[in-house]
Amino acid sequence: MLIMKNKFINNKYILRLFWIVILGIIWQVVALSQVFNPTSFPRIETILSSLIHDVTNGDIILQTLYSLSLIFRGVAAALIIAIVLSGLSAISQTFEGFVETLIAIAHPLPGIALLPLIILWIGIGEGAIIFIIIHSVLWPLIINLLTGFKSIPKIYKKIGKNYGLNTIGIIRYILIPAALPYFITGLKIGWARAWRAVISAEMVFGAAGGIGGLGWLIFKKRVFMDTPGLFGGLIVIVFIGILVEDIFFDRLEKITIRKWGMSI
Amino acid sequence: MEKLTKIHRICIVLIIFVIVLSLNGCTLNNDTSQNNEIRIAEQYGLAYAPLQIMKNKEILKKRLPQTQIIWKQMGNTAAIREGMISNEVDIGFMAIPPFLIGWDKGMDWKIASGLSSMPIGLITYKDGINSIKDLTTNDRIALPQPGSIQHILLSMASEKAFSDSHKLDNQLVTMAHPDGMNALLAKKDISAHFTSPPYIFKELDNEGFHQVLTGEEAMGKDFTFIIGVATKEFHDMSSETYEAFLDSLHEAIDFINDHPQEAASILAKEYDLPKEEVLRYITADGTKYTSKVKGLEDFTDFMKRNNYISNSFQNLEEVLWEDVNYEK
Repeated sequence: MLIMKNKFINNKYILRLFWIVILGIIWQVVALSQVFNPTSFPRIETILSSLIHDVTNGDIILQTLYSLSLIFRGVAAALIIAIVLSGLSAISQTFEGFVETLIAIAHPLPGIALLPLIILWIGIGEGAIIFIIIHSVLWPLIINLLTGFKSIPKIYKKIGKNYGLNTIGIIRYILIPAALPYFITGLKIGWARAWRAVISAEMVFGAAGGIGGLGWLIFKKRVFMDTPGLFGGLIVIVFIGILVEDIFFDRLEKITIRKWGMSI
Repeated sequence: MEKLTKIHRICIVLIIFVIVLSLNGCTLNNDTSQNNEIRIAEQYGLAYAPLQIMKNKEILKKRLPQTQIIWKQMGNTAAIREGMISNEVDIGFMAIPPFLIGWDKGMDWKIASGLSSMPIGLITYKDGINSIKDLTTNDRIALPQPGSIQHILLSMASEKAFSDSHKLDNQLVTMAHPDGMNALLAKKDISAHFTSPPYIFKELDNEGFHQVLTGEEAMGKDFTFIIGVATKEFHDMSSETYEAFLDSLHEAIDFINDHPQEAASILAKEYDLPKEEVLRYITADGTKYTSKVKGLEDFTDFMKRNNYISNSFQNLEEVLWEDVNYEK
């Protein structure tokens, strides 16, 4: 009995589902008690039926895919820039000073605070949204990569040399695996930041690129006072967040750092 | 239970302590809807001029010396509506379509008075665009937000032009009037801007900028631009304050109409514009300050027909408080 109970609690997915159900029940009780105005606190079945309606007529799927494609493009660009900048910093100390200065200037600036400037420079199209995504992903990614490279003990490289590895071998078999936990953490932070950036930018810019993304959908739900639909949009964001966290990153860690014995 | 360590017990006591304290705070904060308070929400623009007169000449204060008057200037209608749902605002000023959206979704509120009619319309700098039929799918249109009166008027025009009221919906860019004006003047991303005074006048003062569509053309007749809406709670619970507010509002409206010169110099300070300019704006063709509510049924019919709302009213008492000056 005790073992079964432990198994139940140890299974991450079951535990997560359990808490989601509990939170759902609390939500429904509050909604049914009518403490809050039903227009601002709808019941779960209202939210779900509105979500199902949006899914079946295809709008929400197209718009989510569009937002995801923006994130993908932004994160890919940020990734390349981050690898180049942190790689150069690992080689040259002068360059590292430059990158650290850049981080000190740019990292504290929220993307939304930069909006007026971005509108002036880039305009209000897709390019502007991607720029905001790059801005919000790039700096945490670089910081994590730099920390990752710095945290590698010198003795690792020496061991590599003892094994007769050349420079490429040391990078491939020692530096990259050793820095990977930091890299994955940076990616996780970047991914979460990219979601926030894309949703808030879409709410400001409207239907960039013809159909608009999830942020535009949520904004439209707000102005037409479709609160259940608004929650439907939020559920989609949460759902994708959990999906990426529990499946994509979990897999990535399993086949890399956990397999190599870098983390528990 | 004996398994609880000392740290556990301290934690539990702390948690209970914090919860009790914060619940205490809740009850204190909830006590905001006292009778001697009136909270009025407005937006920015010349359409709200009578409210500036009311503030500046202290018209309401003279009638309600004991009442605390709180003015809130909000960025958009959705914020005012949300403020009224959460009982942070008693009287809100907005256009007819946002009111209808709230009413349709079950908000307990009705129109208390009209405020103004304004020349509103779609402005562009592009020579090739002379009607909305000339807009291509690459032309983006700035307006305050979907569901705003600007959006509904544009939809009315696109129903007439394309037999599809939603045709331009995915070319919209949500911008507050000042931002939209700057974006249009930059001649870069925004091809057209659906706006109201003073922005519409300022844009038209630029060479090559012209009007593609007027609100009247879209609607087919003139209509009330801004109305005052009161929640049922405020109307029923604070009926004397409500009456005093309406009287003050009508006095302020009459003042602008009877003394435009004096009103213009007061408003010039409030809006930080030259007096002559303000005088030109408030006496322009199509600018009317009046308590009359006009065009309600046309908006309702159109919005119902195109699924922006799902209910329409059977009789006027469902949407108007008593003694509203109404014209079909």
